[in-house]
Amino acid sequence: MSRPVERIKNIKVEFDEKRILSLIGYRKRPKEIKEPTKSLIAEEKKKLGDLLHSASIYTIIDYSETSKHPVFKDADKVAICICTIGPELEQEIKTKMEKNEMTRALILDALGSEAAEEVAIQSDRRLAEIAREMNLWPSKRFSPGNGKWDIKEQRFIFGLLPAADIGVRLTESCMMVPRKSISFRINFYKEQKLSTRKKFI
Amino acid sequence: MSKEEILENMERAIVEGNKDEAEALAKDAIKQKLDLNEVIDKGYIPGIQKVGDLWEKGEYFLPELITSAECMKGAMRVLQPELEKAQISSKSKGKVVIGTIEGDIHDIGKNLVASMLAANGFQVIDLGADVKLEKFIGSAAAENADFICLSALLTTTMVGQKKVIELLKEKNLAGRYKVLVGGAPVNQKWADDIGAEGYGENAMIAVKIAKKLIGE
Repeated sequence: MSRPVERIKNIKVEFDEKRILSLIGYRKRPKEIKEPTKSLIAEEKKKLGDLLHSASIYTIIDYSETSKHPVFKDADKVAICICTIGPELEQEIKTKMEKNEMTRALILDALGSEAAEEVAIQSDRRLAEIAREMNLWPSKRFSPGNGKWDIKEQRFIFGLLPAADIGVRLTESCMMVPRKSISFRINFYKEQKLSTRKKFI
Repeated sequence: MSKEEILENMERAIVEGNKDEAEALAKDAIKQKLDLNEVIDKGYIPGIQKVGDLWEKGEYFLPELITSAECMKGAMRVLQPELEKAQISSKSKGKVVIGTIEGDIHDIGKNLVASMLAANGFQVIDLGADVKLEKFIGSAAAENADFICLSALLTTTMVGQKKVIELLKEKNLAGRYKVLVGGAPVNQKWADDIGAEGYGENAMIAVKIAKKLIGE
């Protein structure tokens, strides 16, 4: 039986300036950012249009279709999602490192992390809306490798979704390529629980 | 420009993160046939040391550190062929073999540490990411290294750091190389538990520890 799979392409990414500054080392004092770093961030941000090819792929499954890992306990349905910003930005980081432009590489890496997170946030919102349409309560999103959910469960996720359609593959050690990719699950419950979101979305 | 002015400007170029200036001054030094090891020791190194001090005081942040390391690398790229031509070996604080553990493809943190070590006078052999455990030991032996630096960004790959130290013990090489570990899930307790000589919470601390371990 083929499972319905949805794709979202070209997700528009908005950047949270504070989080980017935190990622490049200004966590405690973002206001103290100096030149030329400030200009470098602005310059790299401008070039992002050609480097970000964000996409997300997801499916909703019944509990019976899960790996039966304890993290799925009591879920009525489970949303499984893989998001990415594509390989171009990583290639550009590599090029910059080779050209001895480490600061730009660092900034680009932070922008890429933030963009991947933004794609995950927007995909998460869409899935929470779907839960609401189904009259179910969504949990927060969780990724393999966090808490009690073993990183090896990536194989279960990649078994469910045609990740190659959005250009993502899994390495033997269960890491995603491109690196700026995020996979996650959201459990949908019939009733509100401590682990579900306070609001309905 | 006098030698003193050149050295002073070199220091300033590194502190201000002016790559073009750092490289131009290296070319000037060659043109004026200055002692290139003196140029490194009294011009560029004081600059990178000042950058480290400014970071410790909280006046500089990671991007400023990295920009200064870039300047240092740029200047060294100009000087290195001349040093080789004259068969002068540039002074090295020690040889470092560095890489990210097998199964782990993250490398930005490791690259930052490699850059900062190189900028501070260490000779760095960067093995890249997803490096087989045996390769760390093989490369360290082949290069006659002083340090092995192991980066791991995942809890699943940090165990590789422990395995490298166990492999060194199995090969009767414990103590031959100073092993430094780092990465997001790593902490001092983990470094102590597995018998690593040092834990670098960030690139600058890794440099400080490496310097301390060579008695500087």
